Amino acid sequence: MKLSPLIEEFMQKGRSESCPIIDMHGHLGPYQGIYFPNPSSEDMIRTLDRCGVKMIVSSSHGALIDTRANIEMAKVVKKYPDRFRAYWVINPNYPERMQKEIEQFSKTEGFVGFKFLSDYHKYPITGPRYEPALTFADEHGLLVLMHTWGQSPYDSPSLVEQLADKYPNLTFLMGHSGYGEWEKAIQIAQQHSNVYLELTAAYAVNGVIEWMAKEAGSRKVLFGTDLPWFDPHYGIGCVLFSRISDEDRHNILHRNAEKLIKPYL
Amino acid sequence: MKFFDCNISFGTLMLRPIRFAETVQELLAEMSYYNISEALVHHAKQRDDSPLIGNEILLKEIEGFDRLHGTLAILPLQTGELRSIEAIMNKMRAKDIRAFWAFPAEHRYSMSRTALGAFYDLMVERNIPLFIHINESCEGLTGWRLIETILADVPDLTLVVTEHGSWGQDRFFRPLIEKYENLYLEISRYELDGGIKDFCKRYGAERLLFGTGFPGWNPGGPILMLAQADISMRERDMIASGNLERILGRVRL
Repeated sequence: MKLSPLIEEFMQKGRSESCPIIDMHGHLGPYQGIYFPNPSSEDMIRTLDRCGVKMIVSSSHGALIDTRANIEMAKVVKKYPDRFRAYWVINPNYPERMQKEIEQFSKTEGFVGFKFLSDYHKYPITGPRYEPALTFADEHGLLVLMHTWGQSPYDSPSLVEQLADKYPNLTFLMGHSGYGEWEKAIQIAQQHSNVYLELTAAYAVNGVIEWMAKEAGSRKVLFGTDLPWFDPHYGIGCVLFSRISDEDRHNILHRNAEKLIKPYL
Repeated sequence: MKFFDCNISFGTLMLRPIRFAETVQELLAEMSYYNISEALVHHAKQRDDSPLIGNEILLKEIEGFDRLHGTLAILPLQTGELRSIEAIMNKMRAKDIRAFWAFPAEHRYSMSRTALGAFYDLMVERNIPLFIHINESCEGLTGWRLIETILADVPDLTLVVTEHGSWGQDRFFRPLIEKYENLYLEISRYELDGGIKDFCKRYGAERLLFGTGFPGWNPGGPILMLAQADISMRERDMIASGNLERILGRVRL
């Protein structure tokens, strides 16, 4: 069967000049529950090069536990400004630190917005401790990447829906696309101009990318990998082989992200 | 590169996936789209229904399709549902069946030697591989604990663990890989960045098998990942098809 030239190019070369991928969901460094062969920024750059990924937007694994490690990402962005941008992790379990951290964020270059990991921090995205960060992000038109998971009491798509109208100027990136609660997640992305579906892990579910492209539109879908977790070629392959057009593939793999991160380049 | 998928199925599942192949023709069309040459296939009803039903449906539907190689779902012989080892072997010889699947959670049986001893002896004696999904469970055992229990009982068994998941499994399976030389991993969810390269460097490429997990998982992921894995072409070919061909080739029917 004849495949799209874009698929053929990736199968042959592993990358495409015409499709410079942007990964909107990355991390950095070792983490508790997994062995990573390639955890450092230099390791990650080798992977990005191999897979044709032009840039990745990451949060430090260390900062998911202790937000004082956010500064690690600032150093990486400063060292590799053409390859990295960063999210500043917000941990709602230390609300007394939040105002100071928001001030630190606003003074630090290389960050595009905030990262919430509510399922792991065990605090709902709709709770009052997140309000200072959400208000600041709304006032400054920032990106907020949220880990979202189907039926979660902390970050389900329905909870994102409650925030989408309240903070219309910030852009919500639904990390993992509300994994498992696809219909609701797609509906929210379709109905709210400031909500995007992000594909990390979700891409593996057969048929879900076609569903997103058809119902929410490929302009509302972003590529991500959790790198250093997942081989970008795995996620890229899922997007490429989905029964969508090359226009859709380009939108998902780089064009949508290019528009979102343009103010931060 | 020739892709020989060791973990693909078709038919109507009780829980509908987003995308699936109802018929063998639809399955072949899916395989052609992904350039998958051959497949070791099972039918949805081999798991979701009784193996008595599912095994017969599979054998009937794949009859005459050279790209598809059948499998049989097992049950403990003590209920008499699968009759006898002789009857099973006769069917396998007649249909050139060279692999078994175990679905102990759905079919509610124990994976102990007490329950499956006759099958295990057959598998070891005739080098017949047994496939099992990592999420299978029985009698309170699941995941790698179940796999280790099976292999502790039957250390020479050729056991293929499928869809082992992406959230950090190496710390679980590497000790088992080192201890049991006939344990194999199907790679449909081995997404770890650098995982295949790192595994091959430490253990060689012989223990990994290409599979897609279709219809549940998107075949495009493992296909591009393996096609571009940072290993030699020989190693890629082994994982894509050579290892499975070797395993099926040494089965003595």
